Amino acid sequence: MTMPDGGRGVGVCAAVARGSRVAPLLVAAVAAGAAPSAGGAQNAVPGVELGLTYENVYLPPIAILPFRDAGAGRAPAAGVQAIIARDLDYSDRFVVIDSLPEGLADEGVQYELWDQYGADWVLAGHLEEIAGSHYLALELHDIVFTSVERGRFPIPPPGDPDFRMAVHRISDTVVQWVTEEPGIAASRIIFAMAPFGNSTAKEIYVVDFDGEGLRRITWDDNIAISPTWSPDGRRIAYVSYKSGLPRIYELDPVTGNERAFDFGREGQHLTPAYSPDGSELAFTILNEGLFSWDLGDDCCLRQLVEGPANNIQPSWSHDGNRIVFVSDRLGVTTPQVYSVPSRGGEASLVSPYRFGQGGYFADPDWSPRAGQVAFAGGIANRRTLARYHIFVADVGTGDRRLIQLTREGNNEDPSWGPDGRHLVFAGERSDGHGVFVVDSATGRTRRVVAHVRASDTDWSPSLGSGGAGGMR
Amino acid sequence: MSNRFILASLVTALAVGACGGPEEPQVAPQPTGPTAEELERMRQDSIQRAREEEEARLRAEQERREREAAQRAEAARQTLREPVYFDYDEAALRSDTESRLRAKLEVLRANPGVRLRMEGHADERGTSEYNLALGNERVESVVRFLTGFGLDGGRFSTVSFGEERPAMQGSNETAWAQNRRVEFVITAGSDGIVGQ
Repeated sequence: MTMPDGGRGVGVCAAVARGSRVAPLLVAAVAAGAAPSAGGAQNAVPGVELGLTYENVYLPPIAILPFRDAGAGRAPAAGVQAIIARDLDYSDRFVVIDSLPEGLADEGVQYELWDQYGADWVLAGHLEEIAGSHYLALELHDIVFTSVERGRFPIPPPGDPDFRMAVHRISDTVVQWVTEEPGIAASRIIFAMAPFGNSTAKEIYVVDFDGEGLRRITWDDNIAISPTWSPDGRRIAYVSYKSGLPRIYELDPVTGNERAFDFGREGQHLTPAYSPDGSELAFTILNEGLFSWDLGDDCCLRQLVEGPANNIQPSWSHDGNRIVFVSDRLGVTTPQVYSVPSRGGEASLVSPYRFGQGGYFADPDWSPRAGQVAFAGGIANRRTLARYHIFVADVGTGDRRLIQLTREGNNEDPSWGPDGRHLVFAGERSDGHGVFVVDSATGRTRRVVAHVRASDTDWSPSLGSGGAGGMR
Repeated sequence: MSNRFILASLVTALAVGACGGPEEPQVAPQPTGPTAEELERMRQDSIQRAREEEEARLRAEQERREREAAQRAEAARQTLREPVYFDYDEAALRSDTESRLRAKLEVLRANPGVRLRMEGHADERGTSEYNLALGNERVESVVRFLTGFGLDGGRFSTVSFGEERPAMQGSNETAWAQNRRVEFVITAGSDGIVGQ
């Protein structure tokens, strides 16, 4: 019962054999007005026909030469190299080759030799010590076009709380060099779960994108849920019941300082979401609708969507112009995902609702880089146990296709990574619950944290130096 | 019994005393029988005992009434606190839920000072954040039912816990059925509650 090409415990690849990976993706085409195929009725999303298609994704091989130490350097080059090699593997943009045959690991990069070997890229690096500070000098050789990119990056000592994040940032620079797109290594994931030994409480936890450094950041001994990152990665908004009613709090994860939002309106405040420029916070007041709060002036409640149906889980578009949210205006058993202009206006359906056929869609998250919306959808008829899977709809192009990214267990709370390509989600498998990451391009899935019953997973933006990057 | 006996003998003694006339003072056996003061004290003691007995009986009766009233009040509180349950993924009221709510309705009508906090819950299935909406919808169904019978909605405060506070741990239908519920907390008027 493992995932196709499951990446659990994958360190670095030892062979070239993983050339072009073929990942199965379920692509669901909306059959507008067409009758659903009789055979697929059992597990069908209403209004959608699911068809299994295969997409070839070419992953260029990148060879990593052994990093060299600078004398008695305090930051061991091998440790830095191991982090970067795994980051590049987890980027799902390469086939990583870092176990090299004798003769190829020597100094000097002979392009013809590497071309014959099949590597598209070669990464070489060495640690330098300049005036007591350590640096990683990197060379990225483009074997195909015979060019080279160079950079020198400061590295804190291994005991420094920012050490791993500093190395992750270097990995993201390599991804940027190759793909001209952002990486996901310098990022963290927050979620809610019951603390050990207290099944009635929920607290907020944070973990590095690679599953390292899991730690708890709230200590309310109450119910803390729905954590969400500010776009600069320096604050976390979340919901706590510690006052008796659900209210929204904002936490600085570095200092631990916290404040409660006073919106001047009583009620149950749920599911906060920062606008992409950080100027507004959208959230729900139960029975009243969706609202937005001006964070710059700390004032001015603005109604986005009116009740009386439940309107929850707002998520801003990458340009801030629209908001997707969940509403049960078509019935409490059929929550659907809608999109509405963030300055107010008509809501339009995003999820594939068809009258009389039900369907359960929730947890929308708008990609930070494009018009893609991920959400969780329940697949069931009324007699079978519902299964929840992660879907992606492209609302930017109007292409009425749904991509199904998970195929086993139950899956919810998808959240895009900073590259707008990977998604984190809370999953349940036959061997337990966990936090998972899936690459929407290759379908490759890995378990970030095993055997935790997480919910409300939220992926940070790229974390720069300082701020939450150095979170202890 | 003994008090009544003493009373009777006292009356007899008084009657005997009244019969004795001044014509035959020497005849009466002087050293036997109580003096007038003694008789008067015995009479007073007897009245005091009778009064205490009556008070004790009234006190016991009062205590019994209070105990029964307290039991009825506690039963009324239990009626108010009793959770109501829902079907999977539904906020509509089941018939057993409606009869429990009707019982609450009677108590609430008889006790206008009573206020309730209603807590909506869902089982673990479905997404955790939408379950907050589902828990809210269940509470709202209950509020609509009660206010539909004329109760003042201002007596009720509401909160949804979604799936975050299960009544029973476990991933099976027994636990799920226990967890799809609305709970009731009496927030005012609990002490003075009157049962039926």
